[in-house]
Amino acid sequence: MRASRRGFLTGLLASSLTPQLTWADVGAPRFLAAAKTPDGTFRLFGLAQNGEALFDLPLPGRGHAAAAHPTRPEAVAFARRPGTFAQVINCANGAVTATLTSPEGRHFTGHGAFDLAGDLLLTPENDYENGMGCVAIWDRRRGYRRVGDLPSGGIGPHEMLRLPVGLDGAERFVIANGGIDTHPESGRSPLNLPTMRANLTLMDLNGGLEVVELDSALRLNSIRHLAVRPDGLLAFAMQWQGADGTHPPLLGLIRWGEAPRLVQAPAPQHAGMKNYAGSVAFSGDGRQVAITSPRGNAVQLFDAATGAFLRQVDETDVCGLSALEGGFVLTSGKGVIRHIGAEGAPARHDLAFDNHLIAV
Amino acid sequence: MLRSVVALSCALLPLSFGLQAEEADAAKTAKIDAILTQHVLPNFEALAQTTATLATVAHENCSPDSEALQIAYHNAFDAWTRVSHLRFGPSEVNNRAFALAFWPDPRGKTPKALARLLADQDVALLTPEAFEELSIAARGFYALEYLLFEPQLQQPAAYACALVEAGTADIARLSARIAADWPDYADQMRQAGGDSPYQTQDEVTQEFFKALLTGLQFTTDMRLGRPLGSFDRPRPKRAEARRSARGRQTVALAVAELAELAALLAEDDSSLERELAGAFGEVAENIDTLESPDLSQVSDALGWMQVDMVRLGLHDRIVEELMPPLGEQLGVPAGFNALDGD
Repeated sequence: MRASRRGFLTGLLASSLTPQLTWADVGAPRFLAAAKTPDGTFRLFGLAQNGEALFDLPLPGRGHAAAAHPTRPEAVAFARRPGTFAQVINCANGAVTATLTSPEGRHFTGHGAFDLAGDLLLTPENDYENGMGCVAIWDRRRGYRRVGDLPSGGIGPHEMLRLPVGLDGAERFVIANGGIDTHPESGRSPLNLPTMRANLTLMDLNGGLEVVELDSALRLNSIRHLAVRPDGLLAFAMQWQGADGTHPPLLGLIRWGEAPRLVQAPAPQHAGMKNYAGSVAFSGDGRQVAITSPRGNAVQLFDAATGAFLRQVDETDVCGLSALEGGFVLTSGKGVIRHIGAEGAPARHDLAFDNHLIAV
Repeated sequence: MLRSVVALSCALLPLSFGLQAEEADAAKTAKIDAILTQHVLPNFEALAQTTATLATVAHENCSPDSEALQIAYHNAFDAWTRVSHLRFGPSEVNNRAFALAFWPDPRGKTPKALARLLADQDVALLTPEAFEELSIAARGFYALEYLLFEPQLQQPAAYACALVEAGTADIARLSARIAADWPDYADQMRQAGGDSPYQTQDEVTQEFFKALLTGLQFTTDMRLGRPLGSFDRPRPKRAEARRSARGRQTVALAVAELAELAALLAEDDSSLERELAGAFGEVAENIDTLESPDLSQVSDALGWMQVDMVRLGLHDRIVEELMPPLGEQLGVPAGFNALDGD
């Protein structure tokens, strides 16, 4: 199933000499996903819509997610939390064109986002000596030099994304501050359960922050992953850190400035998600929104307008999820790439796909 | 004759399937009951008893020099260690276990919180109600260890002594509440379905499997991994409870409990059960060879390698090789993403 990397690269040697490559030059991959290969090494894959691997590149350790440059065939692959490096990869020839290292006392969170122009890369960071969330800014035009950082608006930031530009023309980002204080010396153990409070923060590049919290009864519901529709509707996925036996909602929808709406499947199916949503995405037409649960081995689809539960699709160890014309595409830790509500047969690779499937 | 045999076997087939399912259910019921009655409940009762004794002894003499107090401290800390992997249900209500055991403490919150209390000398904070409102970093076994074994946190003596008394009483109350809630919670684990937090018996055994795995990882990564650091840069001061020199003891007790839980979870007389017993036995032997009770031996090359042997036995052999087949026996999907939790 794996594409021949050598053939692919040979074809690219000529084109890589041209200075301004676009994604079309690398076989126009639709998605990026990190994966563990059968020999135990980790690689970043560029995937076609049908699941075919168009290219793959080595990663130094287990990946989590990546950020794709808006126009250039360039991806920033982030190490799994609490990794301290990210690699900028030229997807045309596999060259690592820059390595981002978080400063002493900070680590990346596995996610990042480009600004609209693709000039700045923003990376959420955990300032773990101080138990604070930050967002670092890296300037692509200067070889991804770190040019500053801003507060993330909460503790334990995880994913962030850029919102569509509003009527005022201002560029804004949303950060999922999961609320969990961790320190690499104590692994991923939460250090602040008694005071933990997750939030969503709207940030502009001048450091302006607007924070939205859920009801205090849901303070232990860690908001970690995000998806946005072109009209600005934001979906957020959560992971419950509170007591077993209760099953709070795992998916929320919010239009900034309005109250968040929390949605969930009927009781037995909702409980089957095991209080854990790993990824969230809107469908290609924006009418549906879905969350995955690798612990519940399921994807649940909802009507994005009404919040009504539509259906569940079972898939072992599913986590990666992204939009596709007519529906969704998912990836699993078992190497499956599968379409939901869209044309195309499932593909299977001898790989364990990591948590996220990034649309290019 | 032939026809009747066929008819008989057809009639028996569904019946024997039914019987097999019933037998399997009965085996699961017995397994859950054995874990609760042999492993969980007696250990939480022991925690309640030893911490009650600790509070009584501290009430009589709260001086750090008191030998009786030090013995009571070690007994109670031993009892905590034996349940430290059972982090679900009653211990997680109102962050009780967190208040008993705030460690690791990479930012040094415990000594900071204690230093502030000792500087302020506010006696109003020592009532049971006020004490429960204190920062969790100032409560529990690890805070008590500083007060008993760190000379810099023993002055002024009168307030430090009162803090020991209030702290041990708090530990005893927390432990008593956890132990008091466990019998009801155990019944819910025995009766999966309905109002129980567990819908099936498999969910119950999977909870215990998760506790086993988490306990193994905590012992590997924290209790051993922290002081080990790297070969070139060992970190002896990061060892658990090093001031009272109980790092080795804590590892030994934790491993013994994890071995017991693993044996109870594995299928009786299976080759996996024997492999687990062998692997845990080897780890225990390696722990016996450690010379430093506070694990400070990580500072020299040979000592480091001895401690690392223990870690490798737990990690490479037990976590990496034996936990996946045990998870499979228990119907736990060992998912790449499901285990990542991010």
